[in-house]
Amino acid sequence: MKGLRTIHFPPLIGGLLHTLSEVGFFDRCLLIGSWVMLLYQELYGIRYPLHTLDIDFAVHLAPAKKQMRADLERLIIDLGFVDFMTADGVQKFTATGYEVEFFAQRPGGREISALPVREWNLNALPLPFVNLLTDFSETVEIDGITIRIPIPEAYFIHKLIVASRRRRVEKREKDLEQCTVLIPILDDQRLRQVMQSQRFSKETKQILARSCKRLAFPLQRLIL
Amino acid sequence: MKVVEKDNAVRGLLEAECQRCRDVLGALSKKAAHYPKGSLNVRKKRYKDKVYPYHYLVARENGRVVNRHIPKAELPGLQHQLEQRDKCRKEIQVYKKRIAYIEKLLLMPRRRGDPKK
Repeated sequence: MKGLRTIHFPPLIGGLLHTLSEVGFFDRCLLIGSWVMLLYQELYGIRYPLHTLDIDFAVHLAPAKKQMRADLERLIIDLGFVDFMTADGVQKFTATGYEVEFFAQRPGGREISALPVREWNLNALPLPFVNLLTDFSETVEIDGITIRIPIPEAYFIHKLIVASRRRRVEKREKDLEQCTVLIPILDDQRLRQVMQSQRFSKETKQILARSCKRLAFPLQRLIL
Repeated sequence: MKVVEKDNAVRGLLEAECQRCRDVLGALSKKAAHYPKGSLNVRKKRYKDKVYPYHYLVARENGRVVNRHIPKAELPGLQHQLEQRDKCRKEIQVYKKRIAYIEKLLLMPRRRGDPKK
């Protein structure tokens, strides 16, 4: 585990992370999205000041029979968040303009709008390649809170893939911008480990190659 | 007059944020509509040297003010619902303000049906 000096999260976000950490959410689940860049900034010395107003978490799906560990829906509402459902039936939480959302690995080939996560009493939006992040993670300790985040190499490869799948150009640019910032801290051995853990389709390999080309990132570092 | 060149990347991010806020606002408004209307008041009735407090919900229905008595058993549930409704309304205000701010930055014309500021 890596120790960090104080990070000044907004009080509401700090409270949320503290609550999630206390109930053991970060034992297997992760903080993802642009807020991770804030932690990388402290851990690895990169510079990326921009973070969005949505706080995303990747949920590791436990076997269906697993009992509820904590009622996160109630805990998050008690922190002052308001829960709401999107048109697709995905549960989200909001407070003072921040939006909290949970993601899970999409079961192969099936189009599901929301996945119930009994272990935490909430539902998550299923997306492909979330397992890239959940399978390669590290924990950091900030002010006595333990938070699990993806390793930069997994985050980098995930962003390379999702960038090309974005409908909005600006989001794609933002993903690739994060990748550019991460390049100096990437470890080739860990990159290879992440790449070898997956069986990417021909299409995904092409997407990766396209994103690498845009960043002028050598393909051989990804053993493509 | 000096004209600042449009930055499409920044503009796109603002547009995306504006759309996100509109989506959340829509979902929150839908949720808020399901909560009971009105505010909870308490009245005290004196009867044979004893004071009996009872709660009632004041709401406007079809232009008339209606007082509805709330039985003791229903009170905690209703109070919780009203609290959640107020939280929801507060959040709606945050999003309305943010949308107005972003639209101002983007110099977007107000859409038909949008609430007046």
